[in-house]
Amino acid sequence: MSHNPAIKGRAFGDRVLLGLVILLAIVMIAPVFFVVALSLKNNQELMVDPNSVFRLPYTLVNYINTVGTSSVFRWVLNSAIVAGGLTIFTLVLSSLAGYGFARLNFPGRDALFIIVLLGLAVPEQAVLVARHQIFSWIGLHNSYPGLILPGLSSAFGVFLMTQYFRAIPKELDEAAMLDNASRFRIFWKVLLPLTVPAQATLGIFTFLGAWNDYFWPLISATKKEMFTLTVGIASTQVNFAQSQGIGFLMAQAVFAGAPILIVYLFFQKYIVTAVSGAAVR
Amino acid sequence: MTAHIEIKDVVKRFGAATVIDHLSLSIDPNEFMVFLGPSGCGKSTLLRMIAGLESVDEGTISINGQRIDNLPPGQRDIAMVFQSYALYPHMTVADNMAFGLRNIGISADVISARVTEAGRMLEIGHLMERKPGQLSGGQRQRVAIGRAIVKEPKAFLFDEPLSNLDAALRVRTRVELAQLRHRVKSTMIFVTHDQIEAMTLADRIVVMNNRKIEQIGTPMEIYSRPATRFVATFVGSPAMNFVDATLDTSGTNVTARFAGGVSVETDIGSNQLGDGKYTFGIRSEDVRVAPVGQGNAEGVVDVIERLGERTLVYARLGDGQQVVGSDAGNSPVAVGDRIGLAFDGRKSHLFNEAGHAWHARGV
Repeated sequence: MSHNPAIKGRAFGDRVLLGLVILLAIVMIAPVFFVVALSLKNNQELMVDPNSVFRLPYTLVNYINTVGTSSVFRWVLNSAIVAGGLTIFTLVLSSLAGYGFARLNFPGRDALFIIVLLGLAVPEQAVLVARHQIFSWIGLHNSYPGLILPGLSSAFGVFLMTQYFRAIPKELDEAAMLDNASRFRIFWKVLLPLTVPAQATLGIFTFLGAWNDYFWPLISATKKEMFTLTVGIASTQVNFAQSQGIGFLMAQAVFAGAPILIVYLFFQKYIVTAVSGAAVR
Repeated sequence: MTAHIEIKDVVKRFGAATVIDHLSLSIDPNEFMVFLGPSGCGKSTLLRMIAGLESVDEGTISINGQRIDNLPPGQRDIAMVFQSYALYPHMTVADNMAFGLRNIGISADVISARVTEAGRMLEIGHLMERKPGQLSGGQRQRVAIGRAIVKEPKAFLFDEPLSNLDAALRVRTRVELAQLRHRVKSTMIFVTHDQIEAMTLADRIVVMNNRKIEQIGTPMEIYSRPATRFVATFVGSPAMNFVDATLDTSGTNVTARFAGGVSVETDIGSNQLGDGKYTFGIRSEDVRVAPVGQGNAEGVVDVIERLGERTLVYARLGDGQQVVGSDAGNSPVAVGDRIGLAFDGRKSHLFNEAGHAWHARGV
């Protein structure tokens, strides 16, 4: 079989592809290693010679300083509360809305669904000033609700869950009705468990989006103790990085990146399928 | 307790379209009733109305004298087996069967006992911890039946439950269903478009067409004495032969004359018929292939179908009309042969223009 030129050609093509993938992986992962290496270097040594990052000695002093002095933990906590809260509430709301659009008959349902979908086309910048003003009036700035609420109107989430509920055969609802299950029990026990793959996809996208969000937290959180991680790290950076030391900054970045890495490790399977657009079965 | 189901004058509309039109039907306790008809005749809709999955626009449905058409499906004390099985994919086989019982607050001990017994009866006891995705089509079918059995309902509804199975499994499951109905004493309603399923399983068959009931009867009544031309066509394979005929009613019995001088004396009294045009009908097994000159007609063989125990011979009469006759399994006839055809007038039928039937006394 190995003499078949078509297969031989394919094997060669596979190798080229593999080489490219490895190259891409190196390009992606190199900055991460660089960040970790920098975080393990003494700041004075780096100021004298930045190339010292590539040689011994390495030290944990930046991590010790981070634990001792930085606000990064507070910011990680803030980000975790905002991203976690946003994810949970988005899943709840999108699932309920998706079920409603997919399974209930009520007047104006289709028109309402189109209005929800129009939300996909409205950029955040277009509503930012108005939203800032409203949140200012009701005193929600510098609070967790202030950071979480705007993200809850997830047109994407409602759309995704609606489509997913629609794809579930109605016979399951009917079988459950004949099994004397209430409407809520059908939703909770029969349909919702079947949407776990969609929930995972939506949850991951929502969590990553909220964790990495910079724009709204920058506007809403003006007090240092309410900064999310992105805003906090940025604020440290503008404070003339060299005075605190690049190694110290990188140690904070490692702390900042760790939770997302953990999320990734736990949900690897779902993230890969979510990004590739396939459904997990 | 088993169900006596009474359907009175029910109507179902989807928008402007009427899909069930003033239909009445009574199903006896413990009866195995089959709704038979072509796609779109309303048989599945009628079943779903009994189940409570479709509303009833007019008329009533009662079980044992109690009106149920205003009750939600779960409170009608009936179980349904769906064409697609509709098993809950994320639950194990045991949980699928137990779900309905848990919903009505039956104790765990009783649930466990019923599920185990159903598993034993259906030979799926070893599959209890599997999920539907890990089962074959036949096993899923059994689980769906098991889910219905554990509820010990007054009536079972089956919506074309065999149509997703391959041919061999369908025959086996059909036999098993026939056995099951004798073990589980309950009223059963079975919807199908497959006349063999209907003939083999039913106590009585309801033949439906175009939103209405064409005939209700035992399988042999439906086959031998079809009330309408539609029933005669739909039930039986091949369909009944229909030949345009002029009728001679001068004798005691009607004599049907075909073009080409063929005449068949029927066993239908001349005084039974009214005016109008009639079509002569006869089943293929009542048209025997004979040597030329014997029998009461002649034809040329168009097609031969060898079924093993008998041979179906499609022959064209002198006026171009085709009839299907029967011959022995090892029939020597070949395509193009001229053959004689012996019509057995004692097994014949006549249909008027409206499709209503008159039958010979011998059928």
